[in-house]
Amino acid sequence: MIKCDNLQKRVPMAGAELAILKGITLEIKSGESVAIIGASGSGKSTLLGLLAGLDEATAGSVVIDGTDLGALSEDERARFRGQHIGFVFQSFQLLPALTALENVMLPLELQGQNNVEEQARHYLQRVGLQARTGHYPLQLSGGEQQRVALARAFASKPAILFADEPTGNLDTTTGEYIIDLLFELNREEGTTLVLVTHDQVLADLCQRRLRLDGGALVQE
Amino acid sequence: MSMTATKMLARDWRGGELGVLVMALVLAVGVVSGISAFTTRLQNALEQESHRFLAADLVVTSGRELPLDWSRSASEKGLQHALTLQFPSMVYVGEESMALASVKAVTDGYPMRGEITYSTEPFGAVRSADTGPGKGEVWLDSRLFALLDVAVGDKVTIGDAQFSVAAAARTEPDQAASFYGYGPRVLMHYDDIPATGVVQPGSRVEYRQLYAGETAAIGEFQQWLEPQLRDGQRAVTVDEGQPRIGSALDRAESFLLLAGSLAVVLAGVAVALAARRFSERHHDYVAIIKSLGATSGTVNRLYGSSLMLLGVIATALGCLMGWGIQALFFSLFAEQLPIQPGPSGVRPYAIGAVTSLTCLFCFAWPPLRRLAHASPLRVLRRDLPMENRQAIYDYVLGLVAVTLLMWWYSGDWKLTLAVLAGLGLTAGLGFCLALTLLRGGRLVGMSAGSIWRLALAGLQRRGTANALQVVIFAMAIMMLLVLLLVRTSLIDEWQAQLPSDAPNHFMINIGPEDVQAIEQTLRAENITSEPFFPMIRGRIMTVKGEELPVTDDVEEGRRQREINFTWSDTLPHENRLVAGEWWQPGTEEALVSLEEEFAARMGLTVGDSVSFLVGSAPLEARVASIRQLQWQSMRPNFFLVFPPRLLVDYPATFMTSFHLDEADKGFLNRFIRRFPTVTVIEMDIVVEQIRTIINQVSAAINLVLVVILAAGALVLIAGVQASVDARVHESAILRALGASRRLILGGLLIEFATLGLFAGTLATLAAELSVYILQTMVMDMNYVPTPWLWPVGVFSGALVIGALGVFSCRRVVSTPPVTVLREL
Ligand SMILES: Nc1ncnc2c1ncn2[C@@H]1O[C@H](COP(=O)(O)OP(=O)(O)OP(=O)(O)O)[C@@H](O)[C@H]1O
Ligand SMILES: [Mg+2]
Repeated sequence: MIKCDNLQKRVPMAGAELAILKGITLEIKSGESVAIIGASGSGKSTLLGLLAGLDEATAGSVVIDGTDLGALSEDERARFRGQHIGFVFQSFQLLPALTALENVMLPLELQGQNNVEEQARHYLQRVGLQARTGHYPLQLSGGEQQRVALARAFASKPAILFADEPTGNLDTTTGEYIIDLLFELNREEGTTLVLVTHDQVLADLCQRRLRLDGGALVQE
Repeated sequence: MSMTATKMLARDWRGGELGVLVMALVLAVGVVSGISAFTTRLQNALEQESHRFLAADLVVTSGRELPLDWSRSASEKGLQHALTLQFPSMVYVGEESMALASVKAVTDGYPMRGEITYSTEPFGAVRSADTGPGKGEVWLDSRLFALLDVAVGDKVTIGDAQFSVAAAARTEPDQAASFYGYGPRVLMHYDDIPATGVVQPGSRVEYRQLYAGETAAIGEFQQWLEPQLRDGQRAVTVDEGQPRIGSALDRAESFLLLAGSLAVVLAGVAVALAARRFSERHHDYVAIIKSLGATSGTVNRLYGSSLMLLGVIATALGCLMGWGIQALFFSLFAEQLPIQPGPSGVRPYAIGAVTSLTCLFCFAWPPLRRLAHASPLRVLRRDLPMENRQAIYDYVLGLVAVTLLMWWYSGDWKLTLAVLAGLGLTAGLGFCLALTLLRGGRLVGMSAGSIWRLALAGLQRRGTANALQVVIFAMAIMMLLVLLLVRTSLIDEWQAQLPSDAPNHFMINIGPEDVQAIEQTLRAENITSEPFFPMIRGRIMTVKGEELPVTDDVEEGRRQREINFTWSDTLPHENRLVAGEWWQPGTEEALVSLEEEFAARMGLTVGDSVSFLVGSAPLEARVASIRQLQWQSMRPNFFLVFPPRLLVDYPATFMTSFHLDEADKGFLNRFIRRFPTVTVIEMDIVVEQIRTIINQVSAAINLVLVVILAAGALVLIAGVQASVDARVHESAILRALGASRRLILGGLLIEFATLGLFAGTLATLAAELSVYILQTMVMDMNYVPTPWLWPVGVFSGALVIGALGVFSCRRVVSTPPVTVLREL
């Protein structure tokens, strides 16, 4: 369960301060799927980054399953992410130096797990890329890269999956395929899903929608 | 994790900066270990070589017979030994001819180091021998054949004994250092001494016991021996080899150490630049793996182990390269070195490894360590600024590391200081200048065509980064210029000292009545000679009214001793006044001009009084000036010069030096027959030896220069690469917008060439400063400004950096813009 209370983010800007998030309070239950929507620049990515423990809040708190992220050091948050959180990004964020298989194995290796390769192969097969395991990201299309990213995200069996515009760089057909895959895996693994999107179709598939406007939540 | 690290390295090789990093490390290790292995081995060989000038490792000399049980106990300690005895004696042929000779009797073991040379006819082809003449035989100096009118196989008499002439004696390894005073050489066997009956108690003789063996055993023996030495007995070990070669090699060594130090600095800068770029390119990677749960410790381990791996590979390759460099140097020298140089040991390679470690730790690690602090938020926001906060601290660390390395490596703080001064000037001045000039460019450039507008706008947008780049380029160019300058002046000076027609024979003991006749003879034979110098032999007695001690203990120190004077109205050629004034021609004052080191040894300065004994006549004078001599030149040099009027009444002989080709040596036979009282001293073998060694050292220096040029090129490449990413990206966008190939390449060329122009100007300025300090304080040379440096430095800077820049960015016009944009 994710609980966030009066979450604020301000950055210094040419002498003055720019308030990006102006006190966000929300709760997301385990297994729930939530879409964060809003205009460009409204603070969606910033909120996602804070919820996932990628960034530190200026004020307020984020508590995930009883762990206050604000009380953790950067390294403790990294470990926490490794254990509980998975990501899918708009720009895929695969490591170009590693093959598809190695990219999927990476988070498992970071957790120090055994039979890493077997698990990674399983998830690559799950996203239909068993034939492309030895390819490097630059040799894959955008859709294929995003499928590798999905396999990587689910391979570490996260409790919560964060996705920032997972279809933003893809055409409609490929996007829909990715969306189907995402929700299918989500159902199978029972993951909590928090995603940021401009895509109305994707937003509508979620159980709940949160709209951001100028750094504050507004009623749907 | 280690799999990921090696994988990452293998794939990142493509980025180019790892290649530069490894190459820079390999070069640093290679140059440093190669040069230090070379100098270690060369010193080692030269030390052995210098033992040749003693013909042994340890020599005991005395005017009286030396205890023979010393030799016996040396044998027991496993040392070799030999005996020599030197004495003046008349040599007769029948009743009609005779000559005064300097006879040297030697045992079979002589010489233990080096070799004796002889020829089967006077001035004939030189051969070498391990031992001297057999019993009943003598070898005569080439001159004696003419003086005594004998040939090989004839009989000569010394004292009561008759000997058969077996060969012409040419050189001995321990030929007396002072060749004045003694007559031509006769070599005979030690066992024949009693038969001659000429050596009586009280004769002017010199006994020598020579010892050779392992360094440790010799040291032990010397310690045992020294307390037993009495008055008049002296133990001599190896001197510093031959001074002439010595000073040339000292400078060569300074040069090599300078080169090595510069290699360290250049490599350090290249490593730092490459590591910085590597780290910038890896910011995004780190953000991703951190978002996946990697802690900063994991990141540090990942990059630390990658770096260690690279370091190990580079160090191994570097040591290999170092070994190759020194082997190459020695293959150049092999024929010239009479002694095979011993192994250098592991120290040079340890120095190389320490250099590599230092470079890694102080230059490569700081930017990589910052990677661990990269924010995982970059996965959401790529525009997030990178972690560069500790940059200043890194520069300080790098500077301290470079200074310590250079100082440790060269063992010379003046040299270190000279290089640092140049670097400091470049950095300080360069940064201010670059910033102002780049700002000023806006006014000039805006009215120009669109290529210029593009280029100048590019320069201005990255003002600070460009200024830093200019400074780095300037440093690299400066160091190359410094090395080039020092090398050129060094080699020029050597060549000037020993031109191919440098004098290689001395002529002494010329009576005043013969001077004119000899001048004529030389001219008739087309032999160019130096002027004839009058020479008077006297004894220095008192200094500032205080009598000098009479002792034989100190070879060169403050004591009464015999010296050669000359007189002159003018300052001798190639002498330089360092204190006082030269006298008016024709002065009648009692003045004297002293050589710098001699004056220092005797504790004399301008204005002091000093007195001499010439024959039995006293001579007093006041020190009027102090001179510096060119000892390297093969010209007559004198410690003391007097005004001519002062010495007219004293008995003088004359001396000169001249050049004689190998083919013309027969002239000496004729000459000696005609002027039997004149002593001719052959230096041609020595001169030739010096010349060859100097040529080889020059070759080694050129080779080092090439290696350092490579290091410099690496820095330039690393420096250009540092800004390539940003420039390629911008150019790709411009291409996408339809800019022509010519416009883009032209813009890049102007941009880089402008940076190069600034860098070249700065570099030239700083190089002049560095070279000035180096030449006046370290290398003991005269500083001469070099006007050609300016065009070379400035334009080669613009040209090379312009070309490198365009070359590094070429892919932006050779690949479609989409590919470029997608890869970035
Ligand atoms: N570290 C920062 N420094 C300055 N401004 C920032 C920073 N982080 C975010 N912003 C600003 O805060 C606003 C919100 O950014 P955010 O990336 O969260 O928007 P978004 O809703 O994700 O927009 P988009 O839909 O375009 O991705 C933007 O105007 C952005 O420029
Ligand atoms: Mg966003």
